[in-house]
Amino acid sequence: MNKTVYVRLKHRIQAKPNERITLNKIAKIIADEALISKMGDQIIHQIQSKDKTYVVIDVINVIEKIQSIDPSLDVQPVGPTQTIVEIQNHRKKFAPVLFFLVWLLLFVGSALTIMNFHEDVSMQRMHRNLYQFFTGNKIDKPLILQIPYSIGLGLGMVLFFNHVFKKKFNEEPSPLEVEIFNYQMDLDQYIAINENKESVKNDDD
Amino acid sequence: MIKWFMLLFTGFAEGLAVGCGFVAFLSVLGIIPRLMQLTKTIKWIRLYEWAVILGAVSGGWFSLSPVYLHASHYWFIPIGLLYGIFVGMLAAALTEVLNVFPILAKRIGIDDKIVMLMMAIVLGKICGSLFHWLYFAGL
Repeated sequence: MNKTVYVRLKHRIQAKPNERITLNKIAKIIADEALISKMGDQIIHQIQSKDKTYVVIDVINVIEKIQSIDPSLDVQPVGPTQTIVEIQNHRKKFAPVLFFLVWLLLFVGSALTIMNFHEDVSMQRMHRNLYQFFTGNKIDKPLILQIPYSIGLGLGMVLFFNHVFKKKFNEEPSPLEVEIFNYQMDLDQYIAINENKESVKNDDD
Repeated sequence: MIKWFMLLFTGFAEGLAVGCGFVAFLSVLGIIPRLMQLTKTIKWIRLYEWAVILGAVSGGWFSLSPVYLHASHYWFIPIGLLYGIFVGMLAAALTEVLNVFPILAKRIGIDDKIVMLMMAIVLGKICGSLFHWLYFAGL
């Protein structure tokens, strides 16, 4: 019988409160058929209420568990060295009122900041000069420049975040999606180190 | 003579510093890479660089010299639109650099409604700008 076991932990999984996390759930295993069926249902962790939101399972605990079945097994870890288990205690309900308030905040906030910006860089005066430069006439409100400018302002933002033309141009992720991904990775890295019992020595342990 | 030389030198140094700052600012915000990614025209990067340089130089020249073109004012419709798109991209890039959306979406747990939040900012910019030009600037 082949004694080598390849274990690849998943980066992040979601679990319900009080769920028993089995080896099958957090890892992909390549080994002898008989071994897989024996190991797959091994419980790696029992989620308790003191776990709160996140539990990090280190690969070393998984190796320990596998070798407790048969100490002669050669366990080869591949990929991430820990799995982040996100416990869905109370699923955040989408609150329309909260959403509307945030929407209004962003709307009013961005409207006022663009006005501040215009005043700050003396855009009105600059538009008047621009109008004079092109036409030779002097007018107080060069709206023929300013209205297309305002529409272009929104268009430029949409273009940057690439939501309208997503399918048309290419399937590359928009900067926003990349940014959210990076932020999630940073959070995960923080959790992986700070919630991991194997890498942080807690005083209360 | 020395006075002229000092003026020449100061002006040149000033231009150099402002030019470097302008290009550095554009680079940090990554608008040009974004446009190249959207249009798949990375091979013309040199020409885009020249567009920025020529634009900045000619803008600087025209703003300092008292020349009038006596052109039709309908030219302002395309110019204003391009002008707005550029400023809009700057604003969007700035929002993105500040990491506003990811944190906000995470905090209130609405990852799937992020497009609507973005539209709030976009519409806010358009309405704020129109309000400014149509009413506020005349007060």
